[in-house]
Amino acid sequence: MANISLQHLNKIYDNKVQAVYDFNLEVKDGEFIVLVGPSGCGKSTTLRMIAGLEDITEGKLLLDGQDITAAPAKDRDMSMVFQNYALYGHMTVYENMAFSLTLRKEDPNVIHKKVLAAAEILRLTDQLNKKPKQLSGGQRQRVAMGRAIVRNPKVFLFDEPLSNLDAKLRGATRREILLLHKRMHATMLYVTHDQTEALTLADRIVCMSMGHVQQVGTPLELYDTPANIFVASFIGLPPMNFFPATVQGDHLSGKYFDLSLNEEEQALLKNYQGKEITLGVRPENISEGGDVEVQVVNNENLGMNTLVHGRLKGQNAQDAAITCKLRGWCDYKAGDTVKVSFDKRHFFDQETTNAIR
Amino acid sequence: MTNLDDQKQVQLDRMRFTKNLLGSRLVYLAILFNVLYFVSVYESDVGNWYYQALIGVSVVYNLVFMLVAFLSSEGVKNYKTGYGYVLLGLGAGQIARIFILPLMAHSAITKRSDPVLKKVLEVPVMEDPQFFWIVVFLCLSAACCIAAGAISVERSKKLAAYNASLSEMAA
Repeated sequence: MANISLQHLNKIYDNKVQAVYDFNLEVKDGEFIVLVGPSGCGKSTTLRMIAGLEDITEGKLLLDGQDITAAPAKDRDMSMVFQNYALYGHMTVYENMAFSLTLRKEDPNVIHKKVLAAAEILRLTDQLNKKPKQLSGGQRQRVAMGRAIVRNPKVFLFDEPLSNLDAKLRGATRREILLLHKRMHATMLYVTHDQTEALTLADRIVCMSMGHVQQVGTPLELYDTPANIFVASFIGLPPMNFFPATVQGDHLSGKYFDLSLNEEEQALLKNYQGKEITLGVRPENISEGGDVEVQVVNNENLGMNTLVHGRLKGQNAQDAAITCKLRGWCDYKAGDTVKVSFDKRHFFDQETTNAIR
Repeated sequence: MTNLDDQKQVQLDRMRFTKNLLGSRLVYLAILFNVLYFVSVYESDVGNWYYQALIGVSVVYNLVFMLVAFLSSEGVKNYKTGYGYVLLGLGAGQIARIFILPLMAHSAITKRSDPVLKKVLEVPVMEDPQFFWIVVFLCLSAACCIAAGAISVERSKKLAAYNASLSEMAA
């Protein structure tokens, strides 16, 4: 069992800079939580507070109901995997994986069994006699994970473990982490700035910005019902398009378009009649055929889809920029005009930037 | 497949990934005792007995011993059988050395002029206590070499046989 409770965590550094504001989260046993956000948003600081590598300025941290706010890192029964692997270059893979258990003076035969079992899980059995410098980046990261596994901790903490890997290896290692979680069913907290990692790995995502939690939810919740403009723009690739628009009866009028609202949307926006709101449309929710005119600036074929970057009605203003992810292979030239429709629309309050629900 | 429930089997399997540190460390001890030996042997009151070719040979042998022993310690650490035999040879050499320079020095008499008594005295080159410690150091050095050699030969043979059985199973 490893339930973690983070209650009103705040982190203020000695220079009075506040990195984390009132962080609250209940992590259930076996859950895979991903903290995601741009650089400097406080996600790594939060993870380091959980690991015991940073002091908690205010708030409480409970592990299985036990207060570990002030407990030293070594007594927290958590293992952390770092971005830079932190392996000992003079030791073999086997020795690196066995190191923490050797320090604890565990029986060498028991250590051996644990190392072999972890190596089997991570497919490192053939690499055990090699030194880290003889391994690829992905293999080194697997060794770092193996070192965490052999300790059999209550909680695994990952601090951007895939950031040093190239795109192909990152994908493969990501799948391995997912398999590892399924196999071990351990509680895992994972920090990344890559939203693809967040969406593919997480049971729940915590999206952060400027030290504040913006939204906590399943990947689908964050993608489908983002809480505010920040989450809507951060989750999803290419990012969501945003346009200012005014609610006028059963219509939504923008500078470069006029859309009719369905009954559900009208009900949602009934308090915004005559007011300006922000319309959000994901590129993949735009399809060919409709009333909105887009002048193509450039066309990127991705095989199954085509990314069309353009301008609404050919206008050069910043709020006229649009990206559409159209189905199939399209061969538009710069200057072509495409008529599109917005299939699924998100509405945000312009003052608060929160989603209108 | 390795039976990880059998402790002996696990111990054997561990050798595939861990170094023979016992053998290697015993050799370091052998080198240490050899250093203690030659520091002690050159403390002798050699008087006019010192300048013999045998001393030069002894110095060179000490250097060779330390070099070969160090190389062997690295060899046995990685379960190389040949180095185990080299260590057995070095151990025998340490025993044999007792009967060359130390014994000769212990039996030799040298002349030394005493400025206080103003006469020439005849004294043993190596007194009994010094000879005793030299024998102890060389015996300990030899024992470490022989133990390291024997352990290493046994372990490396076991590991080689185990690896061969694994290869057979894999085939």
